[in-house]
Amino acid sequence: MTETFAELDVRPILRQGDEPFEKILEAVAALAPDQGLRLYATFKPVPLFHVLGSKGFSYEANELDGGDWEVLFRRSGTPAVAEPVAAAAASDAAGWPKPAQQMDNRDLDPPEPMVRILAALETMEAGQVLSALLCREPIFLLPELAKRGHAWHGAFEPDGTTYKILICTGGHRDAAA
Amino acid sequence: MIGVSLSRWTMAYFAAAIVALLLSEALMVAGYGFPALPVQAPQTLVLVHLVAIGWLSLLLCGALFQFVPVLVARSLYSNTLPFPALLFLLAGLGALLIGFLQLAGTIDFAPSLLPYGAILLAIGFALVLYNLGRTLWQARPLPLQARFVAVALVCLAATVAFGAIFSFAFGTTLHSDALLAIAGQGLPLHVSAGLGGWLTFAAIGVSYRLLAMFMLAPELNGRRPQAVFRLGSAALAVAILGGLASLLCKAPVFPALLIGGALGAVALALYLADAVHLYRARKRRIIELNSRMAALALVSLAASVVLTIVLLALGRLTQQVGALVFLVAFGWLGGLGLAKLYKIVAFLTWLECYGPVLGKMATPRVQDLVVEARARRWFVVYYLAVWSATVCLLASQDLAFRLAAAAMTVATLAVAVQLVRTRLLSNVAAASRLPGSVGRPHLLICMPGPNR
Repeated sequence: MTETFAELDVRPILRQGDEPFEKILEAVAALAPDQGLRLYATFKPVPLFHVLGSKGFSYEANELDGGDWEVLFRRSGTPAVAEPVAAAAASDAAGWPKPAQQMDNRDLDPPEPMVRILAALETMEAGQVLSALLCREPIFLLPELAKRGHAWHGAFEPDGTTYKILICTGGHRDAAA
Repeated sequence: MIGVSLSRWTMAYFAAAIVALLLSEALMVAGYGFPALPVQAPQTLVLVHLVAIGWLSLLLCGALFQFVPVLVARSLYSNTLPFPALLFLLAGLGALLIGFLQLAGTIDFAPSLLPYGAILLAIGFALVLYNLGRTLWQARPLPLQARFVAVALVCLAATVAFGAIFSFAFGTTLHSDALLAIAGQGLPLHVSAGLGGWLTFAAIGVSYRLLAMFMLAPELNGRRPQAVFRLGSAALAVAILGGLASLLCKAPVFPALLIGGALGAVALALYLADAVHLYRARKRRIIELNSRMAALALVSLAASVVLTIVLLALGRLTQQVGALVFLVAFGWLGGLGLAKLYKIVAFLTWLECYGPVLGKMATPRVQDLVVEARARRWFVVYYLAVWSATVCLLASQDLAFRLAAAAMTVATLAVAVQLVRTRLLSNVAAASRLPGSVGRPHLLICMPGPNR
């Protein structure tokens, strides 16, 4: 149903090593009701698909020559069913405090990265942020974070191989689980 | 990104698959079907379908319900549908096997159960295809590894369609010339679609991810895996669609199979090169038993490709096709399946039991759920037995084949015992087995809950 596209090229931001997430959300907020977004990135921005999906956008991703990606976000009418987990996943990390703890889990055997992250979170105060580097998307960790009431924001770094996740500890942790 | 939860019925599929494997091995020990009887004998068909549907397809379906979501980073469309699908598949397999026994004259009653078996199997596989298809459809554009699975699912549909036509031709009266032509000449297409398209192509797609994940190797998405996908898909299209077209035009199917086979051999050679690269590029120096044993499955795949070429060159492929299919089914697909089961059962059980309390209390590690030293020797016995059995088939040594099959059966039983022990946490020291509110896992159903 969307015919026109606003264009946003975040490749320069990514190449500088900066985080384009905020810029993308600004661009989405500024779209006209019948407008879609044409996004250029240096990697396939998978986490964004879910975030914008929860705002009612469908996507079409095309790999360009040279390994860059063009993604067309169209308004699909209804927002994707907002699973409680997705709401947490969609957290905008911009307002979060600086990470209180950082860990590099890239060289650990699975599932050690998940074990260490969950153990570290248990020692942190509510509202503190943990930053962790991983070598792949932590797909089995995320449901556990959601169950424990933590919010997170994760994406592949511009190198395409390091996945960086920021986790903001939630206040209502289930101590009895 | 909302992550992936545990597939509820995967363990039940695995359990049914292993029971089918043990039954089929016991039949081989007893000298039932091939090689004592010809490849086309109804008794051999019992054996072949017990392996292809009971062992390999149920194993793969169970694995795909868990790993398709991992490949596409989306939840499975339905965590409930796999259960009725399993019931239909088991009922369909039972009816199909009884239908073959009727053909063999072992069971003497009319009417034939073959068409009923085909219908039940078609419903079961349709439920599997719908569930996995919806999961993949929501995740478009698909990553490369998931595209292998998508092609494999199309081939599964083709395999079931061919099988259904055979069942109706054997069990009822068909009046369509085209269907009768397929029933008469379509067997190589049914086998190619099943072993090559469905089982092998899906195993390749999933193994790209599992090998990388368990050995900390970089994910492969470059030109070579792309070429494996394109050449492999082309090979399957030429063999199955080209073969079907030849058959309907009353031309021989052999040229299509030969061209498809040549393309497929190149695709498999490139895949094996990728697999070697994954082993070499791994960050994890000491690898677990599952990765070491998967390497022996890859060796079996390489041996199957070489054997095909040698037999073709010697003009002996038709006579020795039984040995070749045996090596593909038990060395490559079965070996890879058993090796990966050893890790998957441990990992899923660990996640189900200890995931909810990680970080809150001391929990066992995944490797505490297994005793690799105990399982290793049985895996080695299994592979040695499979390779010996293949040689016995090639050399027409029926008695020696049955002895090798006996060794396979014992080894499989021993590995199965280890899998059950892993699932029931029997290998974990009793003191640390069930900390806090952690409950004992159910053998067949994954039930992750807030109190587990």
